[in-house]
This record gives sequence, C-alpha cells and structure tokens, in this order.
Amino acid sequence: MSNIFKLKLSALGHPNPADFNCDDEKEYRSVVLWLEDQKIRHYKIEERDGLRGIEKESWKEAYDTYQRDLVSPVAEGTPNEQLNWILSYAVRLEYADNVEKYKNAKIEKPKQAAPNVVSSNPLDNLDFSNPAFKSGVERVSTLAGVGPHPDPKFRLSALAKILKTSPHPEPPSTEVNLVEQPSDVLKLLFVQDLRDLQTKINESLVAVQTVTADPRTDTKLGRVGR
Amino acid sequence: MGFQPNMKVEGVFYVNSTLEKLMLDELKNACRPGMTGGFLPGVKQIANVAALPGIVGKSIGLPDIHSGYGFAIGNMAAFDMADPNSIVSPGGVGFDINCGVRLLRTNLHEKDVQPIKEQLAQSLFDHIPVGVGSKGIIPMNARDLEEALEMGMDWSLREGYVWAEDKEHCEEYGRLLNADPSKVSLRAKKRGLPQLGTLGAGNHYAEIQVVDEIYDKYAAGKMGIERLGQVCVMIHSGSRGFGHQVATDALVQMEKAMKRDQIETNDRQLACARINSVEGQDYLKAMAAAGNFAWVNRSSMTFLTRQAFAKQFKMAPDDLDMHVIYDVSHNIAKVEEHIVDGKPRTLLVHRKGSTRAFPPHHPLIPVDYQLTGQPVLIGGTMGTCSYVLTGTHQGMTETFGSTCHGAGRALSRAKSRRNLDYKEVLTKLEGLGISIRVASPKLVMEEAPESYKNVTDVVNTCHAAGISKKTVKLRPIAVIKG
Repeated sequence: MSNIFKLKLSALGHPNPADFNCDDEKEYRSVVLWLEDQKIRHYKIEERDGLRGIEKESWKEAYDTYQRDLVSPVAEGTPNEQLNWILSYAVRLEYADNVEKYKNAKIEKPKQAAPNVVSSNPLDNLDFSNPAFKSGVERVSTLAGVGPHPDPKFRLSALAKILKTSPHPEPPSTEVNLVEQPSDVLKLLFVQDLRDLQTKINESLVAVQTVTADPRTDTKLGRVGR
Repeated sequence: MGFQPNMKVEGVFYVNSTLEKLMLDELKNACRPGMTGGFLPGVKQIANVAALPGIVGKSIGLPDIHSGYGFAIGNMAAFDMADPNSIVSPGGVGFDINCGVRLLRTNLHEKDVQPIKEQLAQSLFDHIPVGVGSKGIIPMNARDLEEALEMGMDWSLREGYVWAEDKEHCEEYGRLLNADPSKVSLRAKKRGLPQLGTLGAGNHYAEIQVVDEIYDKYAAGKMGIERLGQVCVMIHSGSRGFGHQVATDALVQMEKAMKRDQIETNDRQLACARINSVEGQDYLKAMAAAGNFAWVNRSSMTFLTRQAFAKQFKMAPDDLDMHVIYDVSHNIAKVEEHIVDGKPRTLLVHRKGSTRAFPPHHPLIPVDYQLTGQPVLIGGTMGTCSYVLTGTHQGMTETFGSTCHGAGRALSRAKSRRNLDYKEVLTKLEGLGISIRVASPKLVMEEAPESYKNVTDVVNTCHAAGISKKTVKLRPIAVIKG
C-alpha cells in the first residue's frame, strides 16, 4: 500500500513523498490536510479548521465529516483504504484540471528481449462495470432463473454453476429425439464427471511429483550422430 | 481371395487414382521376369497376411502402404484371441516398435517465432541429439532403464520430466501394463540405454510447425488449436535400437516355434508364433517394454523441447501453454475389443504403419476428446505438411479403428540416393523458408519429399473413405533430423 501512496503523492507534487509513513498518525493527518489545502479544496479556507487541528481529539470527527462530504465510498473502510481513495480523488481532480497536458503523456514501455506474447483470451479484457455486461448478465439470469443480486459478477458465477451441472437442451419434439436427447444429456454428464475425476487424478500426480521429481540433464553425455 | 494361396479372409486397400497407379506399378515391376530380391510388392504382402492363421475381418492396406519386412508398412490385421491357432508376428509390428508421433501446442504465433527461427532450430538441435549413434543428455543407469521399461511414461512422470496432463493425452496413458523387462535381451538393453532422449535417424524428426488450415473448428478447439499461424511442435520418433533388437531377437525365436507348431505362411519374412505359446507371450511382453521405451523417449524429448523454448522466449513452458495435444503409436500390436459380425470379440490388432483412430465416446480415449474422437497425428515428410485427423465410427467398423500413418515411401532408399542430390534437396527446403538442421546431410535425399507419396493424397483418401476426418493442417517452418 505504502508504495501506491508514494507514487500518488509524488504525482501530486508532495514535498517529500518518499518519507511518508502511513502508519504514523501525525503524518497521516498532515497529508490529509495537505491534500485538502493544496489539491481538493472542497471546503472554504475557514471551514478547514477542524482538519487543521492535527493535534486535537476532534480531528477524527472532522475527518469523518470530510469523507462524508466528499461522498467517499470507503468511509467505513480502514484508514489506508480511506487515504487511498482521497489520493485517487485528488489525482482525478488534478487530471481534470489539465486534461490537455496529461493526454499527450506517453508511457515508456520496457524493452523486451523475447517477442511480446499477447494472451488472446478476450475474457481477460472484459469490463465488469460496463452497463452492457450488466444487462447481459441480467438477461441470461432471467432465462436461467437466477435470483437478483447487486453484484453481476456474483450472479455470473451462480450462472456458471447452473450451466455446468445441468445442460438445457430444447424439449424433445420428435420421437427420435425423445430417446436421443436424454442419452445425449447422460453422455455429457458422464463426460463432465470423467473430467472431474481426471482433474483429481492429475492433482494427485502433481502432489506426488513434488516429492519424487528431480529432472536432470547433463549436456556432457550428449553426442550427435552422423 | 485366391490371389495368394491359403487366404482366409479378403485383402483390401484404400487408394485414390494416383496412389492406385503407384501400387499397381509396384506390382507390375515385381512381376517382370528376372526381378528377384528385395521386398514383395505391397499388394502381395496384403494377400499373404490374409493367409495367416486366426485372422478375422480383412487384411487392410491403408493409402500410405508400401512394402516392408513381411507385412507391408501401412497394413493392419486383427487376430482372434479366442482362436488357439491365432498368431502374433513381429513383422506385423515393425522393427521400430511404438514408433509414433507426438504433437505439442504453444500459444505463440508464427510472427513471434519467425525472427528467432534459426536460433530456435539450433537450440532444439543442441538439446535433442540426432543421427545414427547419437547419445542422450538425460543421465540414466541400468536400474533406471529397467524401471522405465516397466513403467513407461509413469517413470518420466515420477522423475518430473513430464506433466500429469501429458499422460492424460497419450495413447494407453503412455504405459503398456504387460511389459516385462526380464523378457528383453541384455543386448537390447545395452543398445537402448545411451539412446534414450535421442531422435534417431531415418524418417524421424522434430519439427516446428504452424497451423495452416483448420477444417473442423470444434475438434481443433478441443485440442487447443484456436487460430491460423499458431505454433506447434511435432516429434516423430520411436524405440531406437532397443526396439530393433527386441524384434530381431523375437524373429529368431519364432522361426523355431513355427517349425515346432507347424505354422505355414506364404513368406519366410512372416515369422510368427501362436499368441498363447511361450514365444508369442515373451514377444508381447518384450514388445510392451519397447513400447514403454518409446514413450519415455518421446517424453524426454518433450522435456528438452520445452527447455529449448523456455530458454529462447525466457518464459516458463507453462506460460507458453506447451501442452501435449496427443501422442499416437503407429507400429504396435494391442489387445482390443471390437464388434465382428455383430458380436464383441477380443482381438490382437497389429498396426504397422497404421494409426489407431477411435471414434467419439470410445472408453479408451481421453475425456477431452470424448466428443470429437481420438486425435490422429499424421506426420508428413521433411518439408511437406502434416495433418491432425480424428477417428470416426465408420473407421471403427471398417478398419478396426485404424487409419493411415504418414506419407509412405514411393521410392526405395537406394533409389532415392541414386536419383536425388542432397544439396538440391537442402536448397529447395531453404527456398520454402524452412530452417533445417541435420546430423548427416548425405542421408537427406532418402527422406526428401520426392521419395514419398503425397501426404495430402493419403489423408484425403482416408477422409473420403470416412475412416478418419480431417481436422487441422500444419506446415513446417523448421526441421531437425538425423
């Protein structure tokens, strides 16, 4: 955590970000005050007195009010979470003030010796907060009869569980289907059971390997033939 | 029937018009007056196999058939285990016992590999010793070998040379259970010990290939082949001198057994013994040990390939997704259940130059391929394409679940040496953009694409006949060879 603090503080131009110790109550308080004074400026100067009383007991109360006024989503969180959000908020404001300047900033990519292999799994880049994603989950959930939950990711994992254990074929329409479809379902369920079993076997083998495995090579032994 | 004396069942072979011409030319040449010596033509060999005691169904020639010792290479035949006269023949397995093909996939794309193709080929060449008389870089003593012969890939797994998933994706799970190292001669063990983890010579190779065409998207997806240009590694190798010695030893024993049990064959090279005789059982146990040797061998080379890639790309083999897609054996005899004339029968199936191709839902194929059928790996020749096929139900009923194994020779080795120049062959490969590393350039022309039948003809014939289904076509970009 403290590393993130340092990065954000130095981005905001704090005088000595490297020495900041978030566990020190006094330093913590003074950073909050610095953020409000220099960056956030949510209150008028005279309203900042509560936060200015770093040495006083009443500071905590003022800090709570301050967070509520900023509508911090982590007002109930740990002190570190709270500070992290405030820092991010300050960075966001700073960026909004100078969009033109920061937009052109280029990230210097570290040079790689080996070719860059990009994983092509499209799920890796899925944006879970996207409204399209949420409404998609909503639709599938209604179809599969999954009850409501505020977190779409939670609902998605419930869906995965249902789809994995109970295949949903179309209801049989012809007589041939009447026999074939249940047998297909049975086959799929069997394959799934078999996969689970094989996975467990593999896990056991790997567990044993941690004890027995010691692969060695000795290039001195090698000889290329004619 | 009646083409050769004593035929008990029909002989058939699968061809298209090009391959048919090659087959019949071979027969015509052999029938010219004054042509003696060398192997009998493939057509005659199929018929001679059909005359062996205990054969059931048909003696089947696959499209890549060409004459070999006793059995033609590309001939499969099944013998009834319940018939006391049924035989097992080393000629029906071949000298390179459990010669086979293994395919590894990666998550790399051709464009990742092209810039360092030469270094990668060199790195593979440095890791995997090739050529006649090459020696492996995995330290082994006599006791290790005994264990490896008995345990097959389980040995490689125990020692940590392979992953648990590799075993899952291997024919027979990489271990023939009836292997008995005590039935193997000391001479075979002495020949085999230093050769573990080496590629060998002849038609064996390791190739870096890229996916060129996908015919069956679903089946390819199940194998982890998702896109054109994806890089794979194919390893084609067998049991080296070990298997050769096991076969040679068995032939000597079997000639005696034939005299004793009065077994008659049309060709001296078809030496065999009753399955239930001591000689028959001893051979099957030694053959199983050689089969295990070959799997340990391919597993060791899998390990070395992963190391070579890991070094070049500075990434763990896990992260490169270097999983084994499948490992097939195309020189082996195995006990299998098949339906013959509507009844289940236990058969000893000889596949020489023929690959097992079991259909979807067969209990002996890995769970991942239950819905697609068993992957069948068809290695091309140096510089030509390779294919991945899948097994079909039709193949199960028509050919005892067997299909072709590769291109199959069109010219004999001697003829290739006379007619082709090795420098030309190498330049031609370079022209195709294929990096090549060879231990013995002068033997290259024996393996030149011109010496072989066209693998595409072979595979298309199998596809058209319905005995296996085309799934993926692979094109080589780098070859290492003995």
